[in-house]
Amino acid sequence: MAAFEPVLLRNRGVEGSTTLKVYESRGGYQAVRKALKQTPDEIVAEVKKANLRGRGGAGFPAGVKWGFLPKDRKKTLLCVNGDESEPPTFCNRVLMEHDPHQLIEGTIIAAYAVQAQTVYIYLRGEFHEQFHIVQKAVDQAYAAGYLGKKIFGSDFSIEMYLHRGAGAYVCGEETGLIESLEGKRGWPRIKPPFPAIEGAFRLPTVVNNVETLSCVPHIIERGADWFTGIGPAHSAGPKLFCISGPVKRPGCYEGAMDITVRELIEREDMGGGMIDGKHVKAVFPGGCSMGILSADELDMKLDFDDPRNFGLLGLGTAAAVVIPHDMDMRVVLRNMARFYGTESCGQCTQCREGTAWMHKIATRIAADAGRPEDLDVLLETARNMGMMPGLSICGLPDGATFPIETTVKKFRSELEEYILAQPKGRAEYLLRVLN
Amino acid sequence: MAKIIIDSQEIECRDGVTALQAAIEAGWDVPHYCYHPGLSVVASCRLCLMEMKMPHPQTKEMGWAPKLLPSCQTPAREGMEIRFNTEKVKKNQENCMEFFLLNHPLDCPVCDQAGECHLQDYSYKFGKAESRMVDQKLKNPKKDIGPRTLLYSDRCVMCTRCVRFTQEVSGTHELSIVNRGSRVEIDVFPGLPLDNPLQGNVVDICPVGCLLDKDFLFQRRVWELKRGESVCPGCARGCSISIDHVDEKVYRLKPRFNPKVNDWWMCDEGRFGYEYIHDKKRISSPLVRRGLEQTTPNWEDVPAVLRYRFEQFVKAQGGAKVVAVLSPFMANEEAWLLAKFIRDVAPEASLAIGPVPYEGDDQIFPAKASGDGIKFTILKEKAPNRKGIESLLESLGGSTLTCEQFVEKAGAGEFMAAWVVGGYPKPWVDKDTAKLAGKFDLLVAQDIFENEFTTKADIVLPACAWAEREGSFTNADGLSQPFHWAIVPPDGARRDGQYLFEIAGETGLFSAARVREMMAASVPNLSQVYESQRKPAHAH
Ligand SMILES: Cc1cc2nc3c(=O)[nH]c(=O)nc-3n(C[C@H](O)[C@H](O)[C@H](O)COP(=O)(O)O)c2cc1C
Ligand code: SF4
Ligand code: SF4
Ligand code: SF4
Ligand code: FES
Repeated sequence: MAAFEPVLLRNRGVEGSTTLKVYESRGGYQAVRKALKQTPDEIVAEVKKANLRGRGGAGFPAGVKWGFLPKDRKKTLLCVNGDESEPPTFCNRVLMEHDPHQLIEGTIIAAYAVQAQTVYIYLRGEFHEQFHIVQKAVDQAYAAGYLGKKIFGSDFSIEMYLHRGAGAYVCGEETGLIESLEGKRGWPRIKPPFPAIEGAFRLPTVVNNVETLSCVPHIIERGADWFTGIGPAHSAGPKLFCISGPVKRPGCYEGAMDITVRELIEREDMGGGMIDGKHVKAVFPGGCSMGILSADELDMKLDFDDPRNFGLLGLGTAAAVVIPHDMDMRVVLRNMARFYGTESCGQCTQCREGTAWMHKIATRIAADAGRPEDLDVLLETARNMGMMPGLSICGLPDGATFPIETTVKKFRSELEEYILAQPKGRAEYLLRVLN
Repeated sequence: MAKIIIDSQEIECRDGVTALQAAIEAGWDVPHYCYHPGLSVVASCRLCLMEMKMPHPQTKEMGWAPKLLPSCQTPAREGMEIRFNTEKVKKNQENCMEFFLLNHPLDCPVCDQAGECHLQDYSYKFGKAESRMVDQKLKNPKKDIGPRTLLYSDRCVMCTRCVRFTQEVSGTHELSIVNRGSRVEIDVFPGLPLDNPLQGNVVDICPVGCLLDKDFLFQRRVWELKRGESVCPGCARGCSISIDHVDEKVYRLKPRFNPKVNDWWMCDEGRFGYEYIHDKKRISSPLVRRGLEQTTPNWEDVPAVLRYRFEQFVKAQGGAKVVAVLSPFMANEEAWLLAKFIRDVAPEASLAIGPVPYEGDDQIFPAKASGDGIKFTILKEKAPNRKGIESLLESLGGSTLTCEQFVEKAGAGEFMAAWVVGGYPKPWVDKDTAKLAGKFDLLVAQDIFENEFTTKADIVLPACAWAEREGSFTNADGLSQPFHWAIVPPDGARRDGQYLFEIAGETGLFSAARVREMMAASVPNLSQVYESQRKPAHAH
């Protein structure tokens, strides 16, 4: 296999990669100059042709999303989604830490394409260092005339603001982000209206992920055909993969979407295999929310479509976390349930109560007080929430359904063994003590 | 009128309503919490979900969509087909009810809402008999959030109606949401209690016993209460209200839906302004004074005594020296009966309107709103029927006076016989007016509390509170609305309408409707009343 030539991470490791000077010396800010000579519609068409699917989790084609904006709009906003809060995910963080100008360039092109003169970069509250790096890069771009009035001597002007969240997973959901950006509580909005019609401050708004936008300069510079030449047709272009857990080389790697989970774990230029003779028991391959794979499902392709064949929700953030053979699945279950229980915004009944209930049950099972029927209650509760069946406003509970459901289904015998191994009467005793 | 199909039945609905509203108005009982017709739609409780026929994304063929959809968020469109009677919809309702009760304390025996609680009703109708949760319940705290209101947040179903009310109607923004997940709570900001002139409404719209009125707290079980339909006498707006009472005691006032006046709301001043009804210092029996001698006449003798006294006076001093002061707290019917009597014994007699109390300025909610943005107005004119009395005087003609003219002329000694009606809940006789009390040879004072007039009057008649009377008030916009008695007057007293009826020479039982028929010839515009829909468009 030919070695993959990094695109998004090509500046990682280069001395001073966050500075304008180094970025430009390596060919930066050429794509935006090229873009400004074209019409916005031409750029939208090119991105559509490249089939750039959103990297934020849903995989929606960016060009198509841009096309939803009303034709007669007066003002448009572009929001860069840098909330990155999916548990084992840090692709956006790497991009911002090592190559903030690539993001800024992609954002300027996208802003020009949708004619947005105001851009907000929404960063999760915990991104302290990253905030300063990006802010410094934005300041440099302003000083160079790449942002602000009449950028690059063209007629197009653009103002870019960084906005820091207060640390909520749900603020990564695009309408939660918009509410938070408006200074309100991050409660996702009901749709319709979709953000493209009425988003932040009631204006047509485009929300795109950091990585999605970081791809844009390369598409403009090298063309849609080059982009679609990378990886399978339905999942074109370079993609960042994160891997964590007990592997030799945890980190963020770039590749085409034609690799398997096994390759991500084993390859020498990626995960490098397991440490200390551990072996894989399970993997969450796309952030937690997509669900879990058992050890015999590692041949799943990390593209936008294959995960569905394994009962998963989708590719998600392509951030894998490996569960080693000696890990108690009850703990994994509890950890998952806790995350969604504390991150549900509390608006929709099913999500608010369901995620908290699942957390209680999972905690109890992990504390040796499980009952056999608990697993069925977990499965049923996990199905009684979510946006896909229409039971909630945003996709957070779908993200809770899949990890809980797949963990219980794929590891049911192990969980049942634990429950049966509990001393007789312990569940009943603990219930009395706990309550 | 759009035609839509619900559960295979075709119904007609009003234009511009949601599917939920259409279903409710057509008689379906669709459970819902977050939806309130007076507030914005948030579709967050996910209880009202329905199935809907939609075109297939590829084939465009119409079929039932696999997703459930919130009926409160979906506009009713011509030809649309929806259903609630399916397994999927019912399952969701059942699951929701289980979810709502997971952390709910179920302290119905000590909860004021019990009996009118939509968590009780929905659980019974749509829920499961048992919860499957065996774990400890999360207990959110009970909070004192304002001078009049408590928040038992363990009972909250997070419909956010109360929050939206303070954002969209009162515009005061005191309530907010804190915390996440099932720990989410309604709260106030430190040092900024829920304290605005409309705050009582949040208790009404709370579908459960989470927001509680301190005034009503632990006073009475709601199923013991009887409900009387009335109009608030607090200001010249005349909000439609219910008087909840039992054992001849008023326990609380609640707004009644009236699209022409108050929509779903009422103000705190009106809501809590009923306490004077049960004041021990009320005048409760008639009184006749002759020199130093005081007697309590039999009610049966009162009409004859009054007629005799006035006839004697007119014979001695002439009818032009007679005046009747009609209070803006009187109902149109009562005022008409009194005017009829006075003009009967003295056709040249003057009719005047009593003082109209004003306080501050009109208050608009949300503050600074205009046009359709105005959700509620409290008027500075603190009497229910100035407009009615004025219009009565205009229709009857003859010598009619403004309050100022009456004070001036009476001060100049132009009147020697007066019938002065008060009935104000607050003291109304100021220093200048008080001086008039001694100026008459014959003074009849009809009032609820003692004042300079009642202490000097030759004849005192007890006035009743509006909750004990019936009649109609004409509000500031000229809308005449009927109100009905809820409780009986205190021992010894009689309804003003009843004794005025007899004094005016009628026999039998007073009924406002009958008097309005009698009024039709002389004051046609006051004989028509507008009654808001008895059944509100929306149950809660
Ligand atoms: C609960 C939840 C959390 C999300 N968090 C993020 C996030 O942290 N970053 C992100 O880019 N997208 C996140 N998304 C997806 C966004 O809603 C949205 O689809 C995305 O920002 C669109 O960008 P893209 O089209 O470029 O992928 C989240 C979605 C949900 C339902
Ligand atoms: S689904 Fe959950 S996280 Fe999303 S809006 Fe509803 S309660 Fe909030
Ligand atoms: S809110 Fe309703 S269900 Fe809850 S305790 Fe009160 S009456 Fe019972
Ligand atoms: S306090 Fe009552 S009105 Fe407010 S959110 Fe809770 S249940 Fe709804
Ligand atoms: S009433 Fe429709 S979602 Fe709450």
